[in-house]
Parts: sequence; C-alpha cells; structure tokens
Amino acid sequence: MIRLQGKILREIRAATAGPELHKYLQSAIELEHSTIPPYLTAMFSLRPGTNRHISEKIRGVVIQEMLHMTIASNILIAIGGRPAIDRPDFVPKYPGPLPMDVGNLVVGIEAFSKPLLTNVFMAIEQPEDEVPVRTLKLGEAEPEFATIGAFYDAIKEQIMALGPSIFVHTSAPPQVVAENWFPPDKLFVIDSPETACRAIDIIKLEGEGTSTDPFQSPHDPAHFYQFGSIVAGRELIATPDGFAYGGAPIEFDPEGVWPLRANCRIADFLPGTQARTRIEQFAYNYSALLKALHASFNGEPAKLGAAIGLMYDLRVLSVAMMQTPTGVGSGETVGPSFEYVDTQGGMP
Amino acid sequence: MSYLDAPRLHFRGWFQADVSTINNDVRFFQNPSFVPEYQEYNQNGSWNPEGTGIFRLLDCSVTGGNLGGRRIITPQDDPVIGMLLENADQRAPGKLVDLDPQQQMVSQIWGMQVRLLDAAGKALLAGEYKPAAFCNLWRRQQQGVAGDQQLGATYQSILDQMSWADRLDSPLLHALRAASDDDSLSIDFNVFGYGRDASIPRYTMGHVVGTIGPYVRGQPKHFVMGRQMVADTTQSPVVPAGGVFHVQGRLAPDASALTLDLGNTFQIVDANSGLADIGPVFVGVLKDNPMAPLSTVQASQMEAIGEIPYLHPDWYTQTAGVQDFDLRANAVARSLLPSRPLVLFGPPAQDGSAKVLLQETIDGKYVRADDFVFRIEPRTAQVIQLHASRFGKPLAGASIAATATQGMMGGSGGGARITPPMHPPAAIPQIGTPADAIGFSSSATTDAAGYATLQLEASTAGPGVPRGYLAGQLYGIAYQLTGLPPGYLANPLNYISILAYSRKEVPDKPTWFGDIQPLFTQYGHLYPIMNRYVVDLTDYAYVVSRLQGLRFAFSLPMHDPNHMPVTRDMGQGDRDTIIRWLNSAGADGLPPLGDPIAAPEAAAPLRAAAGPAEVALAPSEGGGKTAFLKQYLQRAHTDQTPGTGEQP
Repeated sequence: MIRLQGKILREIRAATAGPELHKYLQSAIELEHSTIPPYLTAMFSLRPGTNRHISEKIRGVVIQEMLHMTIASNILIAIGGRPAIDRPDFVPKYPGPLPMDVGNLVVGIEAFSKPLLTNVFMAIEQPEDEVPVRTLKLGEAEPEFATIGAFYDAIKEQIMALGPSIFVHTSAPPQVVAENWFPPDKLFVIDSPETACRAIDIIKLEGEGTSTDPFQSPHDPAHFYQFGSIVAGRELIATPDGFAYGGAPIEFDPEGVWPLRANCRIADFLPGTQARTRIEQFAYNYSALLKALHASFNGEPAKLGAAIGLMYDLRVLSVAMMQTPTGVGSGETVGPSFEYVDTQGGMP
Repeated sequence: MSYLDAPRLHFRGWFQADVSTINNDVRFFQNPSFVPEYQEYNQNGSWNPEGTGIFRLLDCSVTGGNLGGRRIITPQDDPVIGMLLENADQRAPGKLVDLDPQQQMVSQIWGMQVRLLDAAGKALLAGEYKPAAFCNLWRRQQQGVAGDQQLGATYQSILDQMSWADRLDSPLLHALRAASDDDSLSIDFNVFGYGRDASIPRYTMGHVVGTIGPYVRGQPKHFVMGRQMVADTTQSPVVPAGGVFHVQGRLAPDASALTLDLGNTFQIVDANSGLADIGPVFVGVLKDNPMAPLSTVQASQMEAIGEIPYLHPDWYTQTAGVQDFDLRANAVARSLLPSRPLVLFGPPAQDGSAKVLLQETIDGKYVRADDFVFRIEPRTAQVIQLHASRFGKPLAGASIAATATQGMMGGSGGGARITPPMHPPAAIPQIGTPADAIGFSSSATTDAAGYATLQLEASTAGPGVPRGYLAGQLYGIAYQLTGLPPGYLANPLNYISILAYSRKEVPDKPTWFGDIQPLFTQYGHLYPIMNRYVVDLTDYAYVVSRLQGLRFAFSLPMHDPNHMPVTRDMGQGDRDTIIRWLNSAGADGLPPLGDPIAAPEAAAPLRAAAGPAEVALAPSEGGGKTAFLKQYLQRAHTDQTPGTGEQP
C-alpha cells in the first residue's frame, strides 16, 4: 500500500483557495502516471501468442490508469492549474518509491512475473479496506500514515468545502474529454464540486473497488483484485460466503515472457549496439508521448491523437527491443527505459 | 534558390529505415496461399519481417555550413555547428513506404518532422518534410558484409510549415530564415551504408549526410533546376561506367561561383569506410558543345575549374559533398559556362587526354518531373509538373513528349523459389493493364519559366482488379525533351510511377466476411508487427475488441505518421468501407459479421507477366531492392525491344 505522510491530508484540509490545491492535483497526476511504466512493461514483456488473457487484463488496468491521469489533469485545469507533464522529474526514478509514497515499496521496471504482481503491483493497488478474498494474505496498513484513498477523500472534502467558486475553467478544451476513447460516464467535463467528486470516485472505485465489493463493475474487478486473479490463476467470482479466485482458469505460460533485464537505463549500453539504439528510441518515444500529453492538457487538445499514436508506437518499438540481447551470452534481453530525453541517438 | 545556395548548413549522422519485408514479394499478397512460415526472419529473403515502417534520423548533427560565401566549420564560426537535427518530439516518427510491391524503386518518406535543436535542447526550427521518393539510386558501396544494402540514393524535398524560434543567435540560421519563402526550406540528403543483417549494430540503419538551404517560391521542390551532370549508365542504370554518379549544380547568376553537389557521387568501399579513393577528380567546362557523350577529353578541349577535394578526411562530413568553386579569377570558365557543358574528369595522361567521368546533359538540356510518384483514385485528375532547362536556365518553348513505360516496375520482388512452396502458386501480375484506366497528355510545351504540366487522369471505372490477388494497378510515364539525339536518355530513373487504385463502391452494410476479412487478412499476413502485437487482423473477435484504435488509425490522413495502413497502398473505397464497417453496429452492438462466403470468390483471370523465370538470389543478397533490381535487369536484358538507351 502506498503510504503518504499524514501531514499531506492536513495541508489539503487547510487549503483556503483553489490554487492551494494545485500541487496536490499535480501529485495525483504524477501518481496515476507512475504506475503506467511498470504495468506497461509487464504487459509488453508477454510474448505474442501466449498469455493473451493476462495481457488483456493488464491492458485494461493500464487504460484505466490513463483515464485516472486524465481525470486528475482535468480537475487541476478546472480549478485553474496547469498540468506539468513535460519535464524530467515528472517520471519517477525506477526502481524507487512512487510519488508521495513514504513507505518501503520499491517499484521497478521488470518483466511480468507472479512475484512482481504480488509484491509490487498488488501492493500499489492494495485498498484501504480490502475485501477478504480467499487465498489472499497481505499485511495491514500502518495507521500513522495516510492512504491514497484518504488522500483523494481529503481532496474531495476540500473541494466541496471551497465550493463552486474555485472552478474557473469549466469546459473542454482546455479540459480533455475524448469521447472516442473514454465513455462519457467515465470522462466528462469537471465544472463543479459534484462533478469533481464523481470523477474522483471513479478513480477510487476502479483502483480499489469498495469496502464491500471487489468488483468495480460486473465482471471487472478493481485493480488489486484483477492482479490477484492473475496471481491466483483464476477469475474472481462471488461465492455464497463472499468472494474467491475460483472462476475460469487464467493460464500463465512462464515461457511466454521475454527475459528482460530489470531496470535498464540508457547508459547501461554502449553506443554502437542495437541495445543502445533501441532503448534510446523507446525512451525518446515515451518522452514524446509525455510532451504530446502535456500539450493536450495545456491548450492543444488536438495533440491527443498524436499522443495516442505514440502509445501504439511504444507497443511496436518494444518488440525488437525486448528481443535484443543485453550482451553476449547474458540470456537477458533489453527492457525499456522511461528516462525523459530530448534527443535520440546511440550510434558511434 | 535551394540547398545549393548559401546560407546553407550541412549535417551528418545516421538514419533508420525499419521497413517491413514480407511485402517485398508480391506473391505473398495471395491470401489463400499464405502460410505462417513466410513471416519468419530470413525466410525467402525477408530480413525484417517485424519491421515497423519507421524512418527516422538519429545522431544527426550540423557539421558545416556556408554563409555569404564563407565556410563555417566550428562553433566559433557560427553556433549552428554541433546542433542536433532531430525528428518530431510530440508525435510518431516518419514512415518509409514503397509505392507497391511491384514498384520498390521510389520508396517515399511520409509524415516526418525535422527539427534543429540548440545546446539546451530548444527547437530553433521545425518543419514538415514534404513526402518524397528517393532518386539517383546506384550501387555505391563496393564491398560489404552479408546482407548489406550496397545501393545508395538521394532524397530531395522541402520542409514546409516551418516554425522558427523567436530568437536566433546563429547568424547562419538568421540569414537562412530571411532567404526563404513560404515558410519553407530546401533539404537534400544522401543515404548509404545500410545494414540488413540482424546480427550487426547497423541493422536497419545507415549513414546520412545532407544539406539544408533556402527554398524560394516557384522553384522545383525535389531537384535543382541547375546544371545536371549525368553518368553513363548504358550498361546498367545503377552502375555508372565512370565509377561516379550524377551531380547537380548551380552557377551563380553573375557566374562568379559554381556550386556542385557531389554528395551521392563517390563510391564507398564498405559501409563505414568513407569515400573510396579513385584518384584525383577534376571539374571543368568544355569549349565546344558536343551532341554526344565523350569518353575522353583533351586538356585543350576544356577549361579546368578545379580539383574536388573529396579525399580530404573532413570534406564529406563537413560539406555533405557540396563544393563551391570560386570563378572570379577564371574569366575563361565564366564565359564558357553559360553555354558549354561541365565535365568531371580524371587526371590527364601524358598525351593530355583525360577520362570523362561525368558530363553535363547533351546541349545542357534537362527536364524533370518534380514529383514523380502518384497515387490516383478513379475519376480523379492530377497534374504532373515538369521543369525544363538548358545549361541551368529555364528552357522556354520546349516540347516534351510523354509515353507509356513500365520503367523498372513489375516482377515479383522475390527469389526464384518460395519456401515452403505456395499452394496454389501465385502468378506474377502484369502491370500497366488495362491501358485505358489512366490517361495523360502526350505532349506539353514549356512556358517562359521552363515550366510545363501534363494532365494525369484516372478513368471512372479505374483499372478494376487486373492483378487478381492485389488491388490497384501500376502505370508508368516516360517523358523526354524532343529534339535530342536519338537514343539519348539523360537519366533512365526519371520516369513517372503511378499507382491507380481500384474502384470500390462502399457497401451500405459492409460485413466482416463479405468485405473486411479479405482486406485485413492480407494486412495481417504481410505486417506481423501489427498482427502479433497490436491487433490480430485475421480474428473478428480481436478486431472488435480494438475498434477505437482502428477507427482512429484508418481515419487519419495519409500524411499522418500513424495513418493506417502504413503502406499507404489502399484505395479510398476500401478505406471508406473499413471505416463504415468499424462504425456500424449489428444487433449485438458490434460491427456485423455477415455470413461466411461458402467458396472463395472466383478471382478474375489474372494476366500474369510474361518473361523470364525468377532470378536466383544468393543468400547474402537479401530481398527487397536487390532482388527487385536484379529482376528488372534480367527483364531488360531478355526484352527484345531495343534495350539500352530506352527509358526502362
């Protein structure tokens, strides 16, 4: 579970004007984004023709994280802020803690494995009030820290307290509402305390479920339980006495994963190698994606199409990279880097 | 003005052309014969089956320049030196696209943005690369590792929709901006040393050197209306008799300076060797105006202008091969140049004779279609723009004749045998038929600016589907100035390539089985990067799980780098059918499946190409352009119609 310093909640509750909430919404954008590189890497590492079911499940989570990032950006825009996405410190340093986390959770960039899901992804997504699901055991959160759920609740409360007057940009654009990509009940214009709270509830629900129901919608478990079902190898189902990972099997073929070296950095590879040019190309493309998103959320909503094109390109760029050996006889291949770069090269 | 004028900057670095290679053999378009083995690496010469189509620049930086006649080579000369040339940073990189599997010799770059960054990473200029095909393809590299692409070529185009930083500390950039019209710049680059072996660092990459200069309204965008020195390619269009390849140049209006682009002229030994030493090479101007190419020239027959310093270690990287010659002290050359041809020649022998390596076109006359690659929908028309010149000056009142040709088009693009064998085998389609699917004016006369146009029209019915398993049809147009010596052809690569799309009426209610599956299956076979990793186009259930992405990509304009299909070879009717289907909903809310077609639709009888058997390819030769070229040469050799000297 991600643990925030308790004082963050006090600061949020002390805000007396919309601008005082900006930095917390920016943190929310950064946090929602920060899960995408590790999840995307796990998904890309699954070889084609195998593990399709698992890949689709992770993909579903990634798309919702993109939605959450968009929602947080729209709320920030609505209360007069400007999302800042095109800068090196927007991307956390992997391996390391996620934004705002003061706990011990170290998140890296690794190939798919069940331990990765158990130890990292489920820890990221662990709900404040976990619904008991058989076969699952995880530690309790320590009470002196605040949770992400509490963080969002505090933002909701303070937005309600400050009232409609803090909403200054109540249309799209400058907000981003993309009906081609997200349904209108998930992504909508934030123009009031009520719409902001409803949007935050979507983030919470999709990530955590509720305290009594691990499903965010029928057949679609919240992220924590989605990952739990992959680890358990069975779909989550409702049972007479609660919930269980007892549904249809979710097959995992351990051979169907590229053997990525964890936490690759550009500087790990010598110029003049395929490993170097491919990892630089990936990082440049990811940086371009952040720049296009930044533009989309800062007055150029038409750039969203370019951003989405870059997302598809990331997928295809990962293919050759993840099949490129890190060195002779290493048995490992090149994993992605999400370093923020302005140039691309790699040849001598 | 063009990149041959000052102010200009030169750059060098690398390019990546991550093309996909299964579509290099037209026979793989025949869906029922396709087996998964054809998607494997190096199967049937397919050296990059999972290619993305991406074309991008990497590690490109400014290495030289010219401002007001002053050479610039260090950051002290001008801060532009060392700046990085990059592609887009807020959208996908460009794509490299063949016109068609049966025309792989005019590969075009689409959707590429070019930016110049200062040391802080700030873009000082950014422009859109107007899609352009390579030209002047030749066997430039003499040795190589297995799979090396030994052919080199040139891309010339413009950057348009330019944006500039408000503040330019570089005098050269400042002057460049001031000298250019229409928010455009002229850009030319040479590509060579490309690797196709997956085990080497250069895999899918090669060297690039190029030049950016001003663009002035009214000038051609894809060549310089100037002085054209051409190689003797009567033996092979890609192997010049003199060992050096075409040069274009310009004479200053006051004849005070001659500027030649020799960036695609000299051989290289291997991919990374730099230029090969072929001995001293000089440029001069003839005293006469001979009506035939010369093989040797006497020192007394010409005025020497200067030696080309191509063996200087920094010359090529600092100039991209663009060399200025100061003529202010050479009154003889200044007086000859307006009406006498340039020659490139070797060192004079004892008797004063020198071997002619290149010679300006006969009588200084030259005509070029600016754009020479066309895609045309049925019932539409386009304009072919031609520019004619004589010794670099507009040639007014010149008559240009246009005739049908096959150019280098046709053939399979693949090797002699397909492994595993095809069942049923795919015939190699004939191109250029039916002839009446396109029409074009057979002649044109240039205006005072040397400019003329040919009207190109596609018939209402379009070509049909004469190639059976492959939509659309290829046509070619040869063009030539009249009145030149019989059989003389300045540049056999100068012809028009046309892909005429098949007419397709968009059905009211397209279905998966009836309309979409045949198209998607073909793309799924040919582009496994898409099929394996993004959406399995052969699988209805998978396709309908990715409707948003497919609607997005199929709706993008052709110039967008994410346009689908990447190959840009699908006609509007087929694209509209797909889009309509993607946006339609049956009872279950999904695009309709329709009914399976019981038996494969009887294909129209395919007019197979006559001619020689397929050429054999050595394992090291790879597929793609090498195979395509060998097949063309074999066809040309076997063809009983007059071969050499005719437009191929």
